[in-house]
Amino acid sequence: MFFALTSDQQEFGAAVRDYLAERFDLAAVRTVVENPSDDGNPASLWRAAGEQGWTAVTVDEEHDGLGLGLVEAQVIARALGAGVAPGPWRGTVLAADAIRLAGSDEQKAAWLPKLAAGEAVGAFTTRGSAATGLPVVEYGALADVVVAPAEDGLPGLALITGATASPVGSYDGTTRLASLDGGTAEALPGTTVELQKQLTDRATVLVAADLVGIAREALTRTVAYDRERTQFGVPVGSFQALKHALADLHVGVTMAEHAALYAAHAVDTGLDGAELAVAVAKAKSSDVALQATAAMIQFHGGIGYTWEHEAHFFYKRAKRLAGQYGDVAVSRERIASLTIGA
Amino acid sequence: MDLTFTPAEEEFRAELRSWLGAHIPQEWTHPGFWESLEDSESFRLRRDWERDKADAGFAGIQWPVEYGGRGGTPGMKAIYDEETVRAQAPRTVNPLGLTFLAPTVMAIGTDAQKKEIIGPLLRNEVVWCQGFSEPGAGSDLAALSTKGVRDGDDFVVNGQKVWTTNAVHGDKIFTMVRTEAGSEKHRGISMLLIDMDQPGVTARPLRQMSGASEFGEVFFDDARVPAADCLGEIGDGWRTAMLLLSFERGASGISQYTEFRRQYDEIAAVARRLGRADDPVIRDDLARVLTELECLRLHSMHVLTQVEQGRDLGFEASMTKLQWSEAFQDLWEVYDRILGEDATLDALPDGTDLRPLHAQAMWSRSVTIWGGSSQVQRNVTAERVLGLPR
Ligand SMILES: Cc1cc2nc3c(=O)[nH]c(=O)nc-3n(C[C@H](O)[C@H](O)[C@H](O)COP(=O)(O)OP(=O)(O)OC[C@H]3O[C@@H](n4cnc5c(N)ncnc54)[C@H](O)[C@@H]3O)c2cc1C
Repeated sequence: MFFALTSDQQEFGAAVRDYLAERFDLAAVRTVVENPSDDGNPASLWRAAGEQGWTAVTVDEEHDGLGLGLVEAQVIARALGAGVAPGPWRGTVLAADAIRLAGSDEQKAAWLPKLAAGEAVGAFTTRGSAATGLPVVEYGALADVVVAPAEDGLPGLALITGATASPVGSYDGTTRLASLDGGTAEALPGTTVELQKQLTDRATVLVAADLVGIAREALTRTVAYDRERTQFGVPVGSFQALKHALADLHVGVTMAEHAALYAAHAVDTGLDGAELAVAVAKAKSSDVALQATAAMIQFHGGIGYTWEHEAHFFYKRAKRLAGQYGDVAVSRERIASLTIGA
Repeated sequence: MDLTFTPAEEEFRAELRSWLGAHIPQEWTHPGFWESLEDSESFRLRRDWERDKADAGFAGIQWPVEYGGRGGTPGMKAIYDEETVRAQAPRTVNPLGLTFLAPTVMAIGTDAQKKEIIGPLLRNEVVWCQGFSEPGAGSDLAALSTKGVRDGDDFVVNGQKVWTTNAVHGDKIFTMVRTEAGSEKHRGISMLLIDMDQPGVTARPLRQMSGASEFGEVFFDDARVPAADCLGEIGDGWRTAMLLLSFERGASGISQYTEFRRQYDEIAAVARRLGRADDPVIRDDLARVLTELECLRLHSMHVLTQVEQGRDLGFEASMTKLQWSEAFQDLWEVYDRILGEDATLDALPDGTDLRPLHAQAMWSRSVTIWGGSSQVQRNVTAERVLGLPR
């Protein structure tokens, strides 16, 4: 029995975290948040994503990728969540996954090496369709290639290039969103209903892992602050009301970490119950990230409510991602239908 | 990631499964069977069964062979936990002796203690109680006031213990006794192993809110205990107690998960029968509990991984207790909501007997109290794991 990250996998995550701590800390994130008209993808960070293999993680070696699994991808997602890092990493990985799993040989040759190297930006969405337009796409304006449903309500995925993008505003300043219209759509010939579900599961796991990273970091920062901040002559962290809330969060975040890791493994290996594992991971990570980031604000007191403090980066990103691919209620309904029937 | 067990472990599973299949009478698995028995009858049946199980080689799975154990791996113990629960084997009569006392004796007992205590424990011939809590010392264990005064080769013990599981049916009790007059807090305490069948020791059942009397109170009036029956050094009982409590850690979450998952499925079936399974609030409630139970399962696999790698989980173990106890309690609260206004009835209007389910619902109120209350586990987690100031 080995249910944990291997040391290689841990190092992968540590490398991303170290990079962010040294080269793209919260001050750098702030620059992105405070300049909403920028493209939201700082060149240095994106270059690192390509050079260090973050974008190549699941692309097969034949196409210049690392040929690793969703387990490794979720390690990166967690680290990027912890750093509330901006950029089109997730969309690029998911677009590459779709092309790798359902694309023609020509599509693979045309896109995979570029996406792996970070030379092309990818995007992925399950909302809207190539036929009727895509209402909200993460980094849609930057994307060289977008993977989306071909037609509303029908199975099938399309590769879209050259669409017209219009910015969509969001209070989560760590990302950029756009609606897309037009462009050229070509089918991904290998798409099946099963595969489409699997791609949505992969997207869901990566979002869950980002949420887990946000939650852990929000908790760690809050604990550090409450150990130092004194009121009534003692550190506020010595008050039991805080301790118990933070202890519960530690348990919750740890459980969410397990859930995201297991879901990634279940999807990677096609385990029975993968669908349930994904829904559990999303329900738990959304829930705990919302709690941990709200607690981050509360347990920093007034400073936590200021623009100047970074708590709101975490809170706002958690809010956005908690709603993606099924919020807590939707994920739980999926769990209910899988365990007690329709 | 590798979620499989080794071939040897799987072989052990098959062997155990077939033994359990042949040795658990059908009627034992009927809902309400154990609840319908008198405490003493239930105790007798379970004790005999466990003796047979030991004779078949399924006791002391992880205990060293030199002590008569099986010398198995942590994985085998996890399999044992899972399979016994899956087969609906009866709960052990000797949880405190088996999980706490035995490993402590193996670690720090004298040769005489090892010989005298471990063999009989393996076959459950001696059932042990844990005499820690007192009326004035629960969470604050070090506030205990039971006294032991040295008299020649013996200690003479006076005082009272309370909420002692198996008080009435137990044979022996490991107790925390203040053996140094005037000592305070953690100092001057000894862990004495006391024969309960002797003058000066009286046990009285205490009725629990479930109606059962699994626990009771124990009175010591000039009870005599040979000083040689001290586990660990005299006066160093706090350290012995901490070692003993550390054995609560391990892979036990797996058996909890297996049992609670079965209960979840039973409760979901009740919801369907009552036409409540399509109520969106109930569905959300059940799914929340299932999420926590799945997390418990994954956490248990992670703990097992750590144990197999020889890592000490230390204070992280509080997390396992919090996770399972609170999820279990939540499950039975959801059950109440499913039944709605009929929640307190002995049977549903259609005749379904609810009493076995009620027994679980009542029991769920205790799990966040014993073994260190949830509040105490949160303190441990906050202070020892997160490093928040005391
Ligand atoms: C079913 C059952 C079986 C048991 N079996 C045994 C047994 O075999 N042997 C044995 O020795 N004992 C046994 N106990 C006793 C159990 O260990 C104690 O009940 C437990 O340690 C709590 O102590 P207490 O009951 O004195 O509660 P108290 O310590 O008086 O606590 C009362 C309340 O205050 C809270 N509290 C206490 N301290 C703190 C703190 N520092 N911060 C925040 N909140 C706090 C508690 O969480 C609780 O909610 C059993 C109890 C039960 C219910």
